[in-house]
Amino acid sequence: MAPEVRPRGPEDRLTGAIAQLAADLQAVLGPAAVITDEAARRTYECDGLTHYRAVPALVVLPESAEEVRHVVRACRERGIPWVARGSGTGLSGGALPVADGLLIVTSRMRRIIDIDLDNGRAVVEPGVINLDISRAVSADGWYYAPDPSSQQVCSIGGNVAENSGGAHCVKYGFTVHHVTGVELCTSDGELVWIGPGQAAEAPGYDLTGVVVGSEGTLGLVTKVAVRLLVQPEAVTTLLAGFPSIVEAGAATSAIIAAGVTPAAVEIMDALAIQAAERAVQCGYPEGAGAVLIVELDGPGVEVAHEAQTVRTLCEENGAFEIREAVDGAERAEIWRGRKSAFAAVGRISPNYIVQDGVIPRTALAQVLAKIDEIARAAGIRVANVFHAGDGNLHPLVLYDAAVPGNLEAAHEVSGAILDLCIDHGGSITGEHGVGVDKATKMPRMFTDDDLATMHLVRCAFDPAGLANPGKVFPTPRLCGERPQPRTAADDARRAEMGVVAW
Amino acid sequence: MTDQGLRALTDVCVHCGFCLPACPTYQLWGEEMDSPRGRIHLVQQMLEGAPVTPTIAGHLDACLGCLACVPACPSGVRYDRIVTQARVQVEDSGVRTLGQKALRAGIFALFPHPYRLRALRGPLALADRIGLTSPRVVRRLPRPLRAMAELAPPVQPRARLPRRLAPRTFGGGVSRPARVVGLLTGCVQSAFFSHVTEATARVLTLAGCEVVIPRGQGCCGALAHHSGMRRQAVRRARRTIATFERAGVEAVVTDVAGCGSAMKEYADLLADDPQWASRAGALAAKARDVTELLVELGGFGPGRLPQPGRPVPLTVAYHDACHLSNGQGVRSQPRELLRGIPGLRLVTAAGADVCCGSAGIYNLVQPDTAAQLGARKAAALRATGADVIVTGNPGCALQIAAAMRRDGGRDVPVLHTVELLYAALDPTVGDRLLPEHRIQGRHGQGLRATPQ
Amino acid sequence: MVSAVAPGGSAAPATTVSPTSADAVAEVLRQAGAAGQTVAVVGAGTKASWGGSLEPSDVVIRTDRLRGIVRHDAGDLIVTVRAGTALRDVQAVLALSGQRLALSAGAPEATIGGVLAAGEAGPLRLRYGTGRDLLLGVEFVRPDGVRARSGGRVVKNVAGYDVGRLLCGSYGTLGILTEATLRLHPLPAARAWVSRRVESPAEAADVVGAVARSRLVPSAIEVDLTGSAGTLCVLVEGSRSGVAERSAAVAALLGGGEAGAEVSAAEPEWWGRYPFGPGDVALKLAVPLRMLATALEALVELCGAQASVRGSAGSGVLYVRVPDEVAGDAADLAERVAAIRSRLAADPGYGGTCVILAAPAPLRDGLDMWGPVPGLDLMRRVKRQFDPDGRLAAGRFVGGI
Repeated sequence: MAPEVRPRGPEDRLTGAIAQLAADLQAVLGPAAVITDEAARRTYECDGLTHYRAVPALVVLPESAEEVRHVVRACRERGIPWVARGSGTGLSGGALPVADGLLIVTSRMRRIIDIDLDNGRAVVEPGVINLDISRAVSADGWYYAPDPSSQQVCSIGGNVAENSGGAHCVKYGFTVHHVTGVELCTSDGELVWIGPGQAAEAPGYDLTGVVVGSEGTLGLVTKVAVRLLVQPEAVTTLLAGFPSIVEAGAATSAIIAAGVTPAAVEIMDALAIQAAERAVQCGYPEGAGAVLIVELDGPGVEVAHEAQTVRTLCEENGAFEIREAVDGAERAEIWRGRKSAFAAVGRISPNYIVQDGVIPRTALAQVLAKIDEIARAAGIRVANVFHAGDGNLHPLVLYDAAVPGNLEAAHEVSGAILDLCIDHGGSITGEHGVGVDKATKMPRMFTDDDLATMHLVRCAFDPAGLANPGKVFPTPRLCGERPQPRTAADDARRAEMGVVAW
Repeated sequence: MTDQGLRALTDVCVHCGFCLPACPTYQLWGEEMDSPRGRIHLVQQMLEGAPVTPTIAGHLDACLGCLACVPACPSGVRYDRIVTQARVQVEDSGVRTLGQKALRAGIFALFPHPYRLRALRGPLALADRIGLTSPRVVRRLPRPLRAMAELAPPVQPRARLPRRLAPRTFGGGVSRPARVVGLLTGCVQSAFFSHVTEATARVLTLAGCEVVIPRGQGCCGALAHHSGMRRQAVRRARRTIATFERAGVEAVVTDVAGCGSAMKEYADLLADDPQWASRAGALAAKARDVTELLVELGGFGPGRLPQPGRPVPLTVAYHDACHLSNGQGVRSQPRELLRGIPGLRLVTAAGADVCCGSAGIYNLVQPDTAAQLGARKAAALRATGADVIVTGNPGCALQIAAAMRRDGGRDVPVLHTVELLYAALDPTVGDRLLPEHRIQGRHGQGLRATPQ
Repeated sequence: MVSAVAPGGSAAPATTVSPTSADAVAEVLRQAGAAGQTVAVVGAGTKASWGGSLEPSDVVIRTDRLRGIVRHDAGDLIVTVRAGTALRDVQAVLALSGQRLALSAGAPEATIGGVLAAGEAGPLRLRYGTGRDLLLGVEFVRPDGVRARSGGRVVKNVAGYDVGRLLCGSYGTLGILTEATLRLHPLPAARAWVSRRVESPAEAADVVGAVARSRLVPSAIEVDLTGSAGTLCVLVEGSRSGVAERSAAVAALLGGGEAGAEVSAAEPEWWGRYPFGPGDVALKLAVPLRMLATALEALVELCGAQASVRGSAGSGVLYVRVPDEVAGDAADLAERVAAIRSRLAADPGYGGTCVILAAPAPLRDGLDMWGPVPGLDLMRRVKRQFDPDGRLAAGRFVGGI
């Protein structure tokens, strides 16, 4: 599968255990699946978060669950740590490699194995792109609901690891609400199916529920069973311009209080609007201190009713301009500005940090005012884009790396914002995950006992601590139970319990 | 471009990965090094002092230069500029194998030379006649020669064009000053597709232009420019600029996507040359693809391109040549013109925005990858049920035609956009032109509509 | 401290405590741990007969003094409740703000803790999921007496592992829930139930499928069958005008007047109630929709024409009361259940399951209550981490956990 003109680079750099592992894996998976060349390995040194980089000792691209099993087992036998990577678009460093370990990339495991529309389920390999799932079933009137803004490129395996959300999660939930089962390669190198899959539930612990969002620390997911939804009968999107965030926030509260559950509620502040305008000329209401985007979906009669309510409440709360999309093209137009927001700030600032924090929605106006204070005091600009429906903030902290001290100031502001979120009873991450980026903030949210309890789960799945070490937990911990050598009795017991492969 | 300049370009990349699904080589292999994001990283490694190893060179060479990543990038990274400069560094590093160097030397000794290509016509026609170009023989050739032989089009009589063509006069009291436009005749185009250039010239006159075809045109330098051969590209650019300055034209028109894209990049190419920078900019500003100019002139209508008299009841699949769509942003104009032809039904193939694999000399230096992409493209185009495929680039036309021959499926004729336009506009010409001069397999079928 | 009869009916002497705080719960567990005693937790006891072995424990912790709503942020649509609070009491308070917890239990006095621990859910599961989908955060006490938290108070939160989800449906074997924060929804302005008769498993499955795949967004699709025939009922919720229009559309989808479809503003008396009672043999099936007809047919064949089948057919979840005449003999019953299970079996992730929720004491010993459980090995490892000595709700859960 590799391009024909690609001579292998110098391999004498690899030594010892890694070199042996590389040779073994090349023999079983084929040379095209094992990347040893240093320059090539360096291209994998980070994911979407470029502040942290580490070059993996070896990069492997398996094409099947069996190959994954072989790789993970080989690592287990040699005690070599490994990290899994999908499309490498994560924003918390979840796919940051371990320097002396393996990087297992799932981009070649991209088959859609099974689609069953009678059941509203599909089974896919982890490298399948999020949007491709919806594309595969859209002509039949179905879709896959979680829609992170990177959905054209992010993989479903990555979504499972991070429990990704997206603009529509305020109504439809996150990845965990749409994954009904996974096939997991444990760090012992066993393939185990967990979760009901096609049925609504199965007896036993909800292991799927704890694997989703475990950021790759409990094993490598080799198949995902997803729930599909019927496309709504009607969708409409409204865009409202407000004099400031305060009014926009008040309007949001009013809408929620009126019993409307919008499919998406987004707010952008003046700076974010400015950036979006410059990047894609979205033509948002001029002079707006904030814009509110509300999307409603469902049966036509309910959507019409809700749209009327939303309109009225926006007007009552000071909206000076309201637009409602009449068709798909107009809806796309309204979303264009919001979707370009992150990249757009790149045009009004040389560098920026995307932060991800959650606060109770009712504290919105308060927290944003505080963020403004913090930013001003530090001489740093912050553009705000957020999922107003669930209080998930994405402050874009702008800075110029060329100005001495600017980067540090930006990091401080970014950290202070997270502290603010915790102080208001929120969370340090709504979507992007903890990864390496926020591991140090975990003790602000959780006590040592809380973290130790979570670690019990880790020890159950990965006692040797080889799966994505160094992520999520602030300090390395050992597991009490030592992995036992396998015996024939163990094998028999496992076979009896339905372990899929050995 | 300085290293600093290149670094500034690569620094715009925030590593978001939105370019990955747009990249054909990432779609094929799923490896970071063969994605725009990964290639940018390799360039950054080079800038930090990493030597150009065969691995790095290999991954950069594997880039098609299709530029699909450019519109996909939310941060506005100018990957086109990055890869152009990176290719120069790879070329200058001398890291390629002897075999690779020999092949490139051979290609560049032939393709940018219209006269040498024309000289091949005789031998090629003979080889055709005595069966030397049959699949059985071709299969035994060494890979690069095999690729060339598989792509080679049937040799057809050359259209001879005068130096100057007068504009059509408009009757009925409508008068307009004639637009004086220069026509770039190209290399492969002038050797094997001169009938397309003739169609371009004639259609332009029908739109009210006076067409000037300067003699002694050389290659515009597109192949060299897109392959990192900077010195050659600069030389050819200067010659082309001077040629068209002398001709004194308001626009420089081409019907080859790659040439149009190269000419529009002349300002970048010669930016560091004080003597030529502004002249290059002037020519770049005048460069137009024929479909682009026709729409600029107003498309169909009174005082403009005449409404085609007779309907062309065909289903047409339009294939966007990467250097026209991604390279020049010309997407709507060819479609607008095709839709203006009565009776014509325009369809879009699946994966329409994915490169066909022609990519300049790519299908000669990376024939297996090109063949994979070509096969996908041919299948997708065929699946539309189209009667004819239309595109704005000879490289694409050859690549698609070769792919269809290779997979043995239904042979769909491939035409240039302007050929179909000409056939619709001038019935006498249409009758004469169409049966012989279309690009197709060797079985010679006439164009006809599929039963509805 | 009151000496009470442990669940299961045997008169073994057990110490029963009713702690008034989470710290008190922790203290009890610490002491029990030090003394090597087994512990069980009881809420309102409505599901005390469910599960595997009901060996009496040395210590029984009752949550009846762990009651109350800790906070209700109506604006943020969240509520934090102590585990011993009855679900109906919570709903009553929420209703005052026009909100509800989209969760229901078979018995009105069931506690939040019990509902979550048993993975109980009602008709609304079709649209809103079950307890684990609504849970935002938990406070609990580990078997070793250490208090811990996971999740938080906000709807969106991916910090750390979701241990709360693990606790849901765990039958109290990993820890004792003391407090739960749950996501709320607005109370709909109007509701309508649209029902019709169905005469066979195939018919029921067809109709369920058609409604589930429509764009009408039903809140629930329930069945109430005796043997192969009975009633199918769809709940439509929303605005007044919307519900009127949509319930008419559902009625039309169900075949209209010809098929006997009726729209009513009143909840059917069987709605959300189990078909079984104390002392019955109770089954719970969870099958893919594709297997619904197969499941219903298997039930008729193996549990007889008098089997009561009720439940969220739209989600493939069915509750069954096995008639006394069929439930007479342990070996025979075991065979029948095994036969049902084999009809539902398929490749991992593709099949359905049949759990024996409850059975009278003499029958229990001969029965495999849970059936095959994929991933059991990992579950045992999780249990071992949380409760190395296996003292909490010993034997109650899958695989002897």
